[in-house]
Amino acid sequence: MKQYITRRVGYSLLSLFLLSLTIFLFVRVTGDPTTLLLEPGASEEDIVNMRHQFGLDQPLWVQYGLFVKSFLTGDFGNSFYYRSPVVDLYFERLPNSLLLASVAMVLSLLIGIPSGVLAAVRVGGFWDSAGKVFTLLGLSLPSFFIGLVLILFFTVYLGWLPSSGAGTAAHLIMPAFTLGWYFAAAHMRLTRSSMLEVLGSEYVKLARLKGLPEAMVIGKHAFKNALIPVITLAGINLVVMINVAVVVETVFAWPGIGRLLYEGISFRDFPVVQAVVVIGGSMIIVVNLLVDILYALIDPRIRLES
Amino acid sequence: MISRLLLIAAVLVGAATSATAGEPRGKITIAWHVTISPAWFDPSTAPPQITPFGMLYAIHDALVRPYPGQKMGPSLAESWQESPDGKTYEFKLRPGLKFHNGDPITTEDVKFSFERYKGASTALLHDRVSDVEIVDPQVVRFHLKEPWPDFMTFYGTTASAAGIVVPKNYLTQVGDDGFRKHPVGAGPYKFVRHKPGVEVELEAFPGYWRRVPNVKTLIMRSVPEATTRAVMVKTGEADFGLVLDGPDAEGIRRDSRMQVVSSKHASIFWIEFTEQWDPKSPWHDPRLRLAANLALDRQQINEAACLGFCPPAGVIVPRVMDFALQAAPPPYDPAKARKLLAEAGYPNGLDAGEFAAIPGFPTVAEAVVNELNAAGIRVRLRSMERAAFYGAWQEKKLRGLFMTAAGNSGNAASRVDTFIRSKGAYAYGGYPDIDELFQQQASERDVEKREALLHKIQQLTIDRVMFAPVMDLRTLNAIGPRIARHTITDVWMSPFPSYEDIELKP
Repeated sequence: MKQYITRRVGYSLLSLFLLSLTIFLFVRVTGDPTTLLLEPGASEEDIVNMRHQFGLDQPLWVQYGLFVKSFLTGDFGNSFYYRSPVVDLYFERLPNSLLLASVAMVLSLLIGIPSGVLAAVRVGGFWDSAGKVFTLLGLSLPSFFIGLVLILFFTVYLGWLPSSGAGTAAHLIMPAFTLGWYFAAAHMRLTRSSMLEVLGSEYVKLARLKGLPEAMVIGKHAFKNALIPVITLAGINLVVMINVAVVVETVFAWPGIGRLLYEGISFRDFPVVQAVVVIGGSMIIVVNLLVDILYALIDPRIRLES
Repeated sequence: MISRLLLIAAVLVGAATSATAGEPRGKITIAWHVTISPAWFDPSTAPPQITPFGMLYAIHDALVRPYPGQKMGPSLAESWQESPDGKTYEFKLRPGLKFHNGDPITTEDVKFSFERYKGASTALLHDRVSDVEIVDPQVVRFHLKEPWPDFMTFYGTTASAAGIVVPKNYLTQVGDDGFRKHPVGAGPYKFVRHKPGVEVELEAFPGYWRRVPNVKTLIMRSVPEATTRAVMVKTGEADFGLVLDGPDAEGIRRDSRMQVVSSKHASIFWIEFTEQWDPKSPWHDPRLRLAANLALDRQQINEAACLGFCPPAGVIVPRVMDFALQAAPPPYDPAKARKLLAEAGYPNGLDAGEFAAIPGFPTVAEAVVNELNAAGIRVRLRSMERAAFYGAWQEKKLRGLFMTAAGNSGNAASRVDTFIRSKGAYAYGGYPDIDELFQQQASERDVEKREALLHKIQQLTIDRVMFAPVMDLRTLNAIGPRIARHTITDVWMSPFPSYEDIELKP
């Protein structure tokens, strides 16, 4: 077990190193941030001055070394656009993203799981078809479109909800629904397929042969087991919702990490993009690591196989 | 010539200002198109962009700055004088001025602010200013190494934020970071709070020298999505929606309760002919360049992309700038364009390759490309990402024809310096006589003679068809029904309102 955990931690560290190197190089091939932070036509002197201020005149390996050092010390450097520590910016936005992601996640589970169960129980029936349409729309309609349609309907025509910003529960409804719908569709699909798999298993057949009521078979025997992969996916999705709700946060001017990332990309704010990606990536890596360890604890075959 | 003592402005506090009427009242919300950066609370790090001035001129004030009725008006300074030799500028502060925290404004603050400045054009200013001499708490002198006719353009307009005065004592106590967290200035509005990524709240400063602001509370809210900004004005969530796209602005215009107002800042689109100095290139022939100019129906482009708010341009220096030549745009004459192409040896038109266009303005780019093609100048629109375009432009890697735009402040001389003279940072080539004229104007202290020189340069760009100017770029802004006076065009070369003069309806 100790060896297994050591190996998983090693893989995680390697993933983190590759992620940091990739994002460091990727942001730099997208162009020079000074050309975006200065007005077109800025003097040569201003450009050189700004490049020096941001350390972009140093060799690439020195810049990477400084980035790794700043990551290890947890400060992530200063934002080019905001001129303030990235770590402060990240943690200022984190509560907003946590709030939005949590509500969106609850919504997505409340919608996705029951509709997935219903679709699995009534395969080929009305609810299954309705679920497929719902899923298709949730996965294929772009968030900005859903967001703008919601704003037009609930803000412009009905006047019920504020179009943008943060601060009250009313501000949260439309962005949470827009974000939640996409993930509700994903959760619905997984719940359906997982339920179908479980419903076809031997122990469910046995439960039915024993003459248990259908509600008991589905609710107690099938649903509980079918839920495991859904919860695992939901955990990873929560991290994604926190860190990359870029479009939703931009349309609704929600001050979260997704918008910070959007601004970072727009202005080639390297420290911001690097920090958001590496912190978000670290969260996913840590969640995966914990899941791996938990699986190994629960299922001895996994640790023995490895 | 006898040396002159130029009294630029006298104590005319009442003349340029309107009388204040009572206490500030009400609250307005301004929906910004960008996320407000705390870097804009501190003038010392303001980049060479116009956007930070939308915040700087709310919280801070400068010795000299543009405000309604004044291009370069005495602000914290009640007057200033240029010495007869042009090497010293003496400023006299208004008596009894105070910062928002109650500290008196003295010449110590003026000197401190200039010396800590490290924003746009820092090296230029610090290279040319040899010393800042405090004569007494009210009088300060800037000594230049050589006469510099553009000193006040850089010190007293939006060309740089070097003239903005910050409180030395407060800054020394709280440091740069502390200042960005809670800035203190001498402008019409006091900083109240900043919710990062959401909004900045400001409150009227009753002690502002020009007037007591009409509106008590200003909320500057960051709303990056243009459609959302337009919706906010429609629903009353915001009173100003800055920088709208054409279709959103059209929706606002159709609603009689609201209005669309265009800015009047110094921004302009034009086409570059990068190969005109290459004798082997077809674009070396001025007839082709003229044909491209005549192919553009500028008014149509303006209607399509800008709802008719962006006036067609005849020269690449924006008309609102000092020393700009007020040149009529070339006529739209596609028949003559085709005739010129035929005369130049291209009776069946010319394949001119890819046409890069500044990103963010697809309607303008498509309209220009369509009209060039219709006249026989066959170009293919090349889509480029913002950073890639700016990088290629700056490094002079764009070839053939491309359309660009620039919106930095300054005057005609600064535009010639950057885009027209042969050594300009963005110029693909140039002409020796224009370079010579540029050198002459740089040391010419007689304003009329200098203007004549700069006009001559601009006329030469027209005569030689160096560019194809398209139109001035005006931002479209939505104004909500509660606003009686928006003041969005009242600050020279700024697309932001004169905050203290905004009026709400009773």
